[in-house]
Amino acid sequence: MAGIWLDVLDEIARTCREHGRGDLLQTVRDKRAQLLDPTLRVLVLGEPNQGKSQLVNAIVNAPVCPVGDGRTTLLPTVVRHAAVAAAAVVQAPPSTPGRPGGGTGTVERTAVPLDQIPAGVAGTLRRAGGGPAYVEIGLPRALLGAGLVLVDTPGADEVAALGAAAPAAALNRADTVLLVSDSTRELSVAELNVLLHLTRSHPNVLVVQTKTDLAPDWRAVAERNRRHLAEAGVPAALICVSAALRLRAAAADDRDLNAESGFPVLIARLQRDLAGKGDVLARASVSLVARTVVEQLAAPLRAELASQQAERETGPMSRLHAAQREADELRRCATRWQNTLADEMADLLSDIEYDLRDRTREILRMVDDAFDTADPLVAWDTFEEWLRQSLVEAAEANHEWLVQRCDFAARRVAGNFARYGYDVLPPWSMAVPDDLGDRLPSMERPSIDRFTAGQKVFTGMKGSYGGLLMFGLAMTLAGMPMINPVSIGAGALFGGKSIRDEGRQLLRRRQATVKTAIQRHVDDFFVRMTKECRDATRQVQRMLRDHFTALTEELQEAIVASLRTAKQAADTDAAARDQRQREIRLTMTRLAALYEQAQQLTGARPAAATLEPRA
Amino acid sequence: MTVGLRLDEAVWGLLHRALECYRDDPRATAHLRRQLARLEQPLRIAIAGPWRSGRSTVLNALMGEEVAPVEGTDGSGVFTWYEDGAQPAATAYSTSHPPQQLAVAKSATGMRVDLVGWRAGELRDIVVRWPTRALRQITLIDTPPVTGPDEHGRSPVLDRVLRDADALLYLTRDGRGSDLRLLESVRESAVGQAAPMPVVLVLSRADEIGGGRIDALLTARQVARRQQRDPRVDAVCLNVVACSGLLGLAGRVLSESDYAALAQLARVPRPELEAYLLSADRFLRGELPVALDAEVRATLLERLGLFGVRLATTLVRTGCDSRVALCAELIRRSGLTELRESVHRFFVDRRDTLKARSALAAVEAVLRAEPGPGGAELLGTVEQILAGAHEFQELRLLAALRDTRLGFDADLAAEARRLVGGDGVGLAARLGVEHDATVQRLWEVAADAQWRWRERAEDPVLRLAQRRGAEVVVRSCEGMLAELAEGGR
Repeated sequence: MAGIWLDVLDEIARTCREHGRGDLLQTVRDKRAQLLDPTLRVLVLGEPNQGKSQLVNAIVNAPVCPVGDGRTTLLPTVVRHAAVAAAAVVQAPPSTPGRPGGGTGTVERTAVPLDQIPAGVAGTLRRAGGGPAYVEIGLPRALLGAGLVLVDTPGADEVAALGAAAPAAALNRADTVLLVSDSTRELSVAELNVLLHLTRSHPNVLVVQTKTDLAPDWRAVAERNRRHLAEAGVPAALICVSAALRLRAAAADDRDLNAESGFPVLIARLQRDLAGKGDVLARASVSLVARTVVEQLAAPLRAELASQQAERETGPMSRLHAAQREADELRRCATRWQNTLADEMADLLSDIEYDLRDRTREILRMVDDAFDTADPLVAWDTFEEWLRQSLVEAAEANHEWLVQRCDFAARRVAGNFARYGYDVLPPWSMAVPDDLGDRLPSMERPSIDRFTAGQKVFTGMKGSYGGLLMFGLAMTLAGMPMINPVSIGAGALFGGKSIRDEGRQLLRRRQATVKTAIQRHVDDFFVRMTKECRDATRQVQRMLRDHFTALTEELQEAIVASLRTAKQAADTDAAARDQRQREIRLTMTRLAALYEQAQQLTGARPAAATLEPRA
Repeated sequence: MTVGLRLDEAVWGLLHRALECYRDDPRATAHLRRQLARLEQPLRIAIAGPWRSGRSTVLNALMGEEVAPVEGTDGSGVFTWYEDGAQPAATAYSTSHPPQQLAVAKSATGMRVDLVGWRAGELRDIVVRWPTRALRQITLIDTPPVTGPDEHGRSPVLDRVLRDADALLYLTRDGRGSDLRLLESVRESAVGQAAPMPVVLVLSRADEIGGGRIDALLTARQVARRQQRDPRVDAVCLNVVACSGLLGLAGRVLSESDYAALAQLARVPRPELEAYLLSADRFLRGELPVALDAEVRATLLERLGLFGVRLATTLVRTGCDSRVALCAELIRRSGLTELRESVHRFFVDRRDTLKARSALAAVEAVLRAEPGPGGAELLGTVEQILAGAHEFQELRLLAALRDTRLGFDADLAAEARRLVGGDGVGLAARLGVEHDATVQRLWEVAADAQWRWRERAEDPVLRLAQRRGAEVVVRSCEGMLAELAEGGR
């Protein structure tokens, strides 16, 4: 029968090797050696002062383990068969940090006289600075001769401290574990925790309730303990014993008392375990090992499956999404900058036009003011110079502003590309042209009527004639000659006035002419300048548009390229992941099969071990 | 013995200042008022321990009557307070209901409280008033079982004990690691570190040690002494006492009929009787050679335990020929005397200091929980009192003397310990002279001690910590001299 579980164990070992888990492999190998070993190693555990050592003594019917009142057992004690009674302190060399356990070093054995056993167990014979030590006691007992090995341990009340004392007391080397708890109280929470921990890794755990002689109500305590075990889900049997009665019975050779001590039940159980070690116990062990190993192997796989879900959020898929978002963003950006450009240019144009008109109006106003008084005949040359100067200045200022505005508009548009992070202003420079003055339309001097001397004479004559006649006729009525000094004077007066009037009229006409001419000139200037501005603006606009379109295209190309690579990466990654998932699932199925196989050894249905990956 | 401001006055002033500071906070005010009232009340001693460590039995043994436990409260988180009162009475306090009187039934050896109509978890406190001399100076608190430390290393029961009690009797079967870890967690907060709550570790159920052998109590005492020498145990408690609560209680409530039954048993020849005393089962069910009802046997077993029956029969056989003699011997052997002496020496004698300590801890807790304006200043005062009061300095020196970190040799350490009140705070106990010494002799011894320790305090060869320790001893001696001078006038 041994063949079946051995096959399964080897299969487990092979799986461990496949997974590259050397640690698990070592465990399985140890287990294999342990299961093939015909001896039954019984580990006696429990809180301090529960009667562990006394239990061992009572089982072998000899006071081998020292029993005391405080903490007596400080070193684990291994009681095994020997032809003659003998004892030794066994100490491993100190474990070096690099090589924990120190199992390969030479083990130091110090024989101890039988009466020195208490000192040995109390740890006083141990060499200071050495590694973990234990006491080995050989006894010529038939029960031990059949292959029973009892291991007494120092009391510990925590899971972590169990078996920590020495490898000799290590949990995983035990075939049967006896948890000792005395009858004066029920199992404590700590003990139940220990039991839960133990039953996960050991197929054969017994609770031994000692000191039944001391407690009148030990039956009630046992009953409650069984209930506690059932409630906690610990599949451990409970056996009540009294070591005091057993030792007494042995001394007095009292069969009834022996039966009363409860030990026959315990020993029968141990003997049954010993006999069934190669079969029942081994199967149970193997199925537990399978469970442990499979769980250990499946855990990282399961974790990997779970983490893949998370990775999906962070891996190439996320890069693909990011690239897509980037492309969208660029599209939005393109619309944005075009709108900005159009708006900015329209604003610019209207502003520049208004500015120019404002400047020309100002000039015209000054011209009007000037020629309300001044005579173009006299002031023309000065005036022309001033006008030319003013117009050039206006044109220059206007142009300068245009340049600034264009620059501003370009920066505004470029602002849309800020998140792409590179220097996106076009390499352009717009300056105020130097020859602005030369480009102005030349102004020809308007034709101005001059008041010539002949005209003056003629006008004077025409005016004086009326005066002379008027006064001469009136004088004739008074009997004076028509031409007399008075009438001549009046004629001269009238003549002078006519000339002055005529001169003023002429001046006004000249002024009007000049104003009209200048107005026309300024209009011309304005039209031409406007045209030039518009041209310049349009040019700038076109240039900016070209520049930014090119930039957008460039960016788009880059983004599309990254999108493409991201997509490719995501595709390959998804494929790889699917592949890996299939692999994991396959491995899991294999593990599940192995587990199933191991569980069938015990004939029981597999317990709660969720191997399937959770969806 | 404080020459400047006395400790109780300082604490009283501190509490009033805290009340002033928190006058807008009704909760804190109520809490502080309770602390103020506590200063006048008897010393509160909590009896705590893990599950089935014998808390109620030890409490009964201390009281000498069977009053604990209140049935039905086991493990439900109820604190049961035993106070002195003119009439037996019990009052239940719950979180949701007004206080309610409980029915008290007197029995031959004590009383029983009927807890009817209460659900588990509803009750918070039960206050039992019981007329007895034992409670004149102390209030005993029976606590729910202490569970192991949770993930923060705290135990809720111990936390409440720290708040409500002045001193702690911690019961354990064997003083194992988990108990020590719990007790180590007691020393938190400024007060907890400078003046930790005094703890006496009781190895209860001493009768069960070694499987109930006839010499169990003697070995229990040895175990206690061994534990006391263990620096880890010694660091968390003032003393370790082995005490069998069961035997102690039996010694105080054993009836004549019980004695008669025991005497009957003792008449059976020893080898014959031994077979029946092998196990509880055999004693209860076996065919005894003397006529003893099964009920009587069950009563004996319940009262004394198997070990107690073995011991009592042996005692009767070897000369305790009356109930009184047997009881006295049982009490002597149970270790109850040592326990009571420890309670007196470590707790009752120092009750003013302990109560001041509790009040300081309470003020510190309030200040830390609800920091208010002026809180920092009050905390400073707390620390100032802790650092300055000579009583606490003595306690700290005692704690330091318990291990070897000061570096005094054993004789010196013992003397220092005695002088600062480690063996009792009475003048004679401190000076190590006979009880009825004259004032003159006391004065001579005290002056001599003061002179010697003064030299030690000024010896430049010694380490600083030793000189400081010596200074505390000198200060204690000066206090004693001052007391003597006052008494002499």
